Amino acid sequence: MDLVQDVLTGIANNIFNQVPILIGIIALVGLLLQRKPVETVVGGTLRAVVGVVILTLGVDVFVGGLVAFQAIVSSAVGLEPPSAASTLNDFLAGTGSAVPMIIAVGFVIHLLLVGVFPAARYVYLTGHLMFWMSIVIGASLAEVFTDISRTTLIIAGAVIIACYWTLQPLWTAPLMRRVTGHDQFGLGHTTSSVALLAGYGSRALRLGDAEKHDSEKLKLPRQLSFFKDINVSTALIIAVIMLVAIAFADSAVVQEQMADSELLPWAWGLTQALRFAAGIAILLFGVRMFLAEIVPAFKGISDKVLPGTRPALDIPVVFPKAPTAVMIGFLSSTVVFLLLMGIFAAAGWFVLVPPMIMLFFGGGSGGVFGNAVAGWRGAVFGGLVNGVLLAFGQWIGWGLYGDTAPEIATLADPDWYAVGWLVLGAAQLLAPLGAAAAWVVAGAVLVLTVAVLLLLGRRARRVDTDRPTSDEPDAAGRPTSGAAGTSGAPTTTTGGRDV
Amino acid sequence: MSDRPDPLKVLAVCGLGMGTSLILRMTTETVLARLGVPATVENTDLSAARSTQADVIVGQGMHVDELTGAAPVVVTVDDFIDEGALEARLRPALEEAGWL
Repeated sequence: MDLVQDVLTGIANNIFNQVPILIGIIALVGLLLQRKPVETVVGGTLRAVVGVVILTLGVDVFVGGLVAFQAIVSSAVGLEPPSAASTLNDFLAGTGSAVPMIIAVGFVIHLLLVGVFPAARYVYLTGHLMFWMSIVIGASLAEVFTDISRTTLIIAGAVIIACYWTLQPLWTAPLMRRVTGHDQFGLGHTTSSVALLAGYGSRALRLGDAEKHDSEKLKLPRQLSFFKDINVSTALIIAVIMLVAIAFADSAVVQEQMADSELLPWAWGLTQALRFAAGIAILLFGVRMFLAEIVPAFKGISDKVLPGTRPALDIPVVFPKAPTAVMIGFLSSTVVFLLLMGIFAAAGWFVLVPPMIMLFFGGGSGGVFGNAVAGWRGAVFGGLVNGVLLAFGQWIGWGLYGDTAPEIATLADPDWYAVGWLVLGAAQLLAPLGAAAAWVVAGAVLVLTVAVLLLLGRRARRVDTDRPTSDEPDAAGRPTSGAAGTSGAPTTTTGGRDV
Repeated sequence: MSDRPDPLKVLAVCGLGMGTSLILRMTTETVLARLGVPATVENTDLSAARSTQADVIVGQGMHVDELTGAAPVVVTVDDFIDEGALEARLRPALEEAGWL
């Protein structure tokens, strides 16, 4: 009996606690469900596993550059470098190994919610953000409930993430309709808070007129376009800051960071900045590798069990609508962030690390939605909002995730902070309840989500009876491609749920 | 028709190579299957696309503008899930290359 127990525990600890293996199993199940040929199943499963391993190697390289950057820049401005008791890789190797299960179980709950409640029309398909947000929610729960059981973490985390995936495309739907002119897909992106603040904020502040001040009438210098390649912008910005900081840093700190490197300090600093950029490129490559095997399965499953639902997609789906606004938002959020970096350092608060990916995509999101409501001034405002949220989010967030995965605070979209902190706050509040608290948090989130969905469903029905010609959510689905014609063509699917 | 690479190597490109390019990859696979063109479609980011050999590149204008010449056929898309719109652009482009 003990032997059986030992073998099972051994299998559990050695196989089912390993993120690469778990992601591989999810990919395997997905490929089998799609009835792929055997060579695709074997190849795809192994590619997914290798992808996760590459991701963790990328994190190692990135963290090496990050630590050097934080130490040197801190020294240059006379601060203590930010410290943490854990790293993302530590977290994923320990408690965080529940993350793949949070994604898988969360996706099933998400499909159930979308299937049961007609008001929840969108299936979330942005794979990399499904992964990262699951880490954020897992880390938030694990920070508060330090001895949380694996099952509790998986189920509570899955319920919370499923509710986020269900509600987020709905709260951006009115703005999405304004930008795209149709309702064939929703937004599934963790910059949704920036989108809301940029859109509704520009309207409240009466920043301008969407037609008269349209950003697309402006022309930006072509030389700026190379910034769109995030490998380039990350390497450039981090390297420049690093080289300036080396000149002002305490040479003892520089020597300590350089360890036994034979290079001149400035050359070493450049290498570290490039490692930072290369680490991000590697980790993105790994994520891409396993997503390529998993997301098609998620899409296939949702198409099959929930025909007629619409996908919630990554933020660049709105970029073709206003490419100039994307660049305006990106530049404005980068400038604001770098200014805040200087202010934070001067005030002795914190050494910020510029997250170029998030400055680009969040700034682009703020730019597009700000422009859709108030023209180029709205785009500038949207970028500004993103820069401010990222700066304060990183400062506050680093300390909050010190015992799990502090790096998620330096490479985060605004929703990661918003959702993560709500979960952290709720968990802190209920922590006196002990072991049951995580269940109470997840239960409360679920009840709230269901209430919102019922309310939206009732409102939709009421509006539909008032306006019998508006589309039926089930029957309309996504029009077949032939009917949709060329993209951007005006469609009639404005629905009855405009806000 | 005869000199069409078999399978046709297609790259779907976006900024990070993970989100929209993956969705675009699935749309492209559907459209190419409909056109009866055997193809392998991969999704990738802007940096990697420059160094990858491909017959066709699909992506949004913002990125594709910088990839002109990186592949014999470069197609711009505005909507990542609209199969009809993609087919309307891909078909003439492939015909012009003599691949359809």
